[in-house]
Amino acid sequence: MANNQADDDLEHRLVAWAAAEQQGLRVEKEHELCGVLTASLKPVRQLPSKAKLTGRFLLAFAACAAGLMATLDKAGFHMMTAAQMTGMAVILAGGGVLFSVSLVGRMVPGSRSALPFWMLLVTSGLAVSGGMALLFPWRASHVVVSEGWPCAVMELAIAVPAAAIFWSLARRGALFASAGLGAALTGLAVFLALTAVQFQCMYPQAPHVLVWHGGMAVLLIALGAAIGRAMELRLP
Amino acid sequence: MMRRPRNFTRLGFEGMSGTPIEDRQLRDLMQRYQHADAAALEELVRHISPMLLRYFGASCVRWHDAEDLVQDCWIKIHRSRHTYRLSEPVMPWIYAIARHTRLDAYRKRRRLESREVLVASVPESQHHSAPEAAREQGEIDRMIAVLPESQREVLVMLKVSGMSLEEVARATSSTVGAVKQKAHRAYETLRRALGKERGNGE
Repeated sequence: MANNQADDDLEHRLVAWAAAEQQGLRVEKEHELCGVLTASLKPVRQLPSKAKLTGRFLLAFAACAAGLMATLDKAGFHMMTAAQMTGMAVILAGGGVLFSVSLVGRMVPGSRSALPFWMLLVTSGLAVSGGMALLFPWRASHVVVSEGWPCAVMELAIAVPAAAIFWSLARRGALFASAGLGAALTGLAVFLALTAVQFQCMYPQAPHVLVWHGGMAVLLIALGAAIGRAMELRLP
Repeated sequence: MMRRPRNFTRLGFEGMSGTPIEDRQLRDLMQRYQHADAAALEELVRHISPMLLRYFGASCVRWHDAEDLVQDCWIKIHRSRHTYRLSEPVMPWIYAIARHTRLDAYRKRRRLESREVLVASVPESQHHSAPEAAREQGEIDRMIAVLPESQREVLVMLKVSGMSLEEVARATSSTVGAVKQKAHRAYETLRRALGKERGNGE
């Protein structure tokens, strides 16, 4: 009873608060603002639909992946079993789709977000590491570092220009620098790099792919998030 | 016992500017704005600015600062106008941009404050506006002013702009569940504050 009365009182006050007469900008400010905006008012071409934008990212992803596979060594392709290849292809393509959708959502303010970004990171991380751990045999080599670093360097060498390509596609949207944007952009680039590295790597063993492929992916996404955050903090 | 907030009242824009305007009309204005119609731009500025002022004002900045934020926000809206799609509601798009404007301003203020402290000791901060604003505002304003920023912005969007939970979720890059939770917490805090106020009054 008392609770209901308190609720009613609160609701009544909030309604009154929300309905309170609110003045707009001062007339001179409004004129000044309209003048500034009108001076640069030109017809604009609407951004394509989100489906089209996602399609563009996926097309760029597929084109880059195909180009890299055509030019790189195909050792991984020959050494992986059908199950390993199918499993990794599904996981990496799925990651590419999810990060593309997330990036498109960031291009358009007020987009619906079905999945919080941290959940996307966790899910994709678990899928990649789980897939690597389950699909590849647990045989550790004695020369882990000398086998591993070329894969890590290649992943970095592919991810950096790939992030630049995806950035050039994304910049037509209204992007606001943030750790999430940096992570989404590098996430997509990292999935592309992982696809290429997986295709050419001649060590299809779980410890190798988890540490040198997966570990580098985590580092790169963290670096992307850090760059996004730094840009966000330095905004004028 | 946890209780859910009461139904949110949709006020639309009538309560704000005295001129009712629906989302359909806003979409039409946005379309004309994208086609470089200066009259549509002016009408949008007239209808949306009071709401933005209220939004920025609720963040405990001074009125003068809130006006500057509205201007900054309009410049961002202007630069991003091509990203608005007619199939989408207008207000989540506007508020998503306003939210970034507010966050940018907050960070800039923090940066300036930290620099001021390094160069010389400033006897009085320029931004102790929360108590000032609270003094000037009524009881409910005082209660709302002490809410965490994320809860306050959800409350402003739901109650002042009459947005739905789904629209607020879009504006805040969040999920409907998270918005519900923030609104619920805001209501709980306000209910407690109201109870305390009554206790003091008796």
